[in-house]
Amino acid sequence: MASPSLSAPRLSTRLRDGAAQRLVPWLLPLGIVLGWQAASSAGLVSTRFMPAPLDVIAAGWQLGRTGELWANLWVSTLRALAGFAVGGGIGFALGLANGLSRASDRLTDTTVQMVRNVPHLSLIPLVILWFGIGEEAKLFLVALGVFFPVYANTLHGIRSVDPQLVEMGRVYGLSSWSLFTRVVLPGALPSIFVGLRYALGIMWLTLIVAETISASSGLGYMAMQAREFMLVDVVVLAIVIYAGLGKLADVLTRWLERTCLAWNPAYRTV
Amino acid sequence: MTATALRVHDAAPETVPVQKPADRPAKGTAPRARPPEATGGLAVTVRDLSKSFDGHTVIAGLDLHIPVGQFVAVVGRSGCGKSTLLRLILGLEQPSAGRVVLESDAVRAPPKRIMFQEPRLLPWAKVVDNVAVGLGETGTRAERRARAASALAEVGLTDKSANWPATLSGGQRQRVALARALVSRPGLLALDEPLGALDALTRIDMQAMIEAIWQAQGFTALLVTHDVAEAVAMADRILVVENGHIALDVKVDVPRPRRRGDPDLAALEGRILDHLLQNQAPA
Repeated sequence: MASPSLSAPRLSTRLRDGAAQRLVPWLLPLGIVLGWQAASSAGLVSTRFMPAPLDVIAAGWQLGRTGELWANLWVSTLRALAGFAVGGGIGFALGLANGLSRASDRLTDTTVQMVRNVPHLSLIPLVILWFGIGEEAKLFLVALGVFFPVYANTLHGIRSVDPQLVEMGRVYGLSSWSLFTRVVLPGALPSIFVGLRYALGIMWLTLIVAETISASSGLGYMAMQAREFMLVDVVVLAIVIYAGLGKLADVLTRWLERTCLAWNPAYRTV
Repeated sequence: MTATALRVHDAAPETVPVQKPADRPAKGTAPRARPPEATGGLAVTVRDLSKSFDGHTVIAGLDLHIPVGQFVAVVGRSGCGKSTLLRLILGLEQPSAGRVVLESDAVRAPPKRIMFQEPRLLPWAKVVDNVAVGLGETGTRAERRARAASALAEVGLTDKSANWPATLSGGQRQRVALARALVSRPGLLALDEPLGALDALTRIDMQAMIEAIWQAQGFTALLVTHDVAEAVAMADRILVVENGHIALDVKVDVPRPRRRGDPDLAALEGRILDHLLQNQAPA
């Protein structure tokens, strides 16, 4: 324990202290934004194609004040969550069923594997034909996209639970339900979280694509509208918001992992 | 699920004499008085037991009786069928022929428990909850925790009860596994080379701990080991298994507490080792 801190240079010891440590990951994005602003102010970058960060903030402020931004953000979030709940729920349930029952696996896994190889965004024309540009189309696409990573990782997690632990649970007289809740599910959880992370990424991706192509509200729609009127700052604002939402989803999953997987040394906070 | 016929006889059959070495109950090492409820050991009777895997016979027509409270060690070369015998007695494997009967004098038959070679602790459960797994579904969660805490005290790990298993040493994990096996007050404790992976000193400590708890609780113990010295130090009786049957069945008439390096024990160990090595020579 003592040797690394002794051999480490003084700078890293200082950085390790408190807030400094937490700021490090933000140095790079901050530097890029400052450089960008400097380049725009100096006239090196045409603001017709790339607005200055301050213009983007101004656009955000403007749209926030009229309430347009929040309305679109809210609509997109609802769609994302609804699609995630439906697709993730079905994927999780089917993953559990196929992990626990040979018969269910025989019946459905081949089909799922076949459908999985179809890029779900390729269904957009079909989905528009079926549902028009209503809410169902977005919900369907997000649910379909989210389904596969949740399904595959839940199944893998259950299959990879240590059989020795399952045998121990049986010998020690745990009921099937206890065996599931105390041995199988916690054992599958790390893998289920991997699926969750993938699914959250796919959720945003699918939604934005769907909203860009066919929608009358939402963040993707807002960006497309702005393109029509050459409002570059609003387009960039939308992209920055996607980055923020992605980071938020990541922070939430990390927090969930740390809470649920505290037993696992790999997930413990250092 | 299990192949074991667990029969409870109100009247003890003729095959269940409580045969204990005369010196055992009184002498020094037992750290505490035997608790009143812990009288129901299980007697094991094995009749003409056979087990084959894919046509390969592992256990061939084996007969065995273990009286209540006896500490039996099973030794043999690897692949001789000793672990399979233990798993058959525990009901973890189905016999191909013959039967295993576990009998108890108690009105309610006590459970049978096994301690594996690996600790097999649930990494996502705190130490105390891992011990509580040994109680299965009996009682409320709070009751199970309380009993688990007292079992942890028996193996000297009270201060680790809120730890994750990942933070324990190998010896401590095996002690948690021992507490989990003992918390339900089993009538039969099967030990499948549980000390094989431990260092020599930890192993000696664990042997003494298991012996002391066995003396205090009076369960029937069945230890499978490849370490003849361990068998000789701990057991009342040693079975040498060869080619699926019992080749040698010896009583260890050395009073407890046994001292390491006792000449009688060393002589017995030599005899068993000679037997094991001799019978291997022609092959």
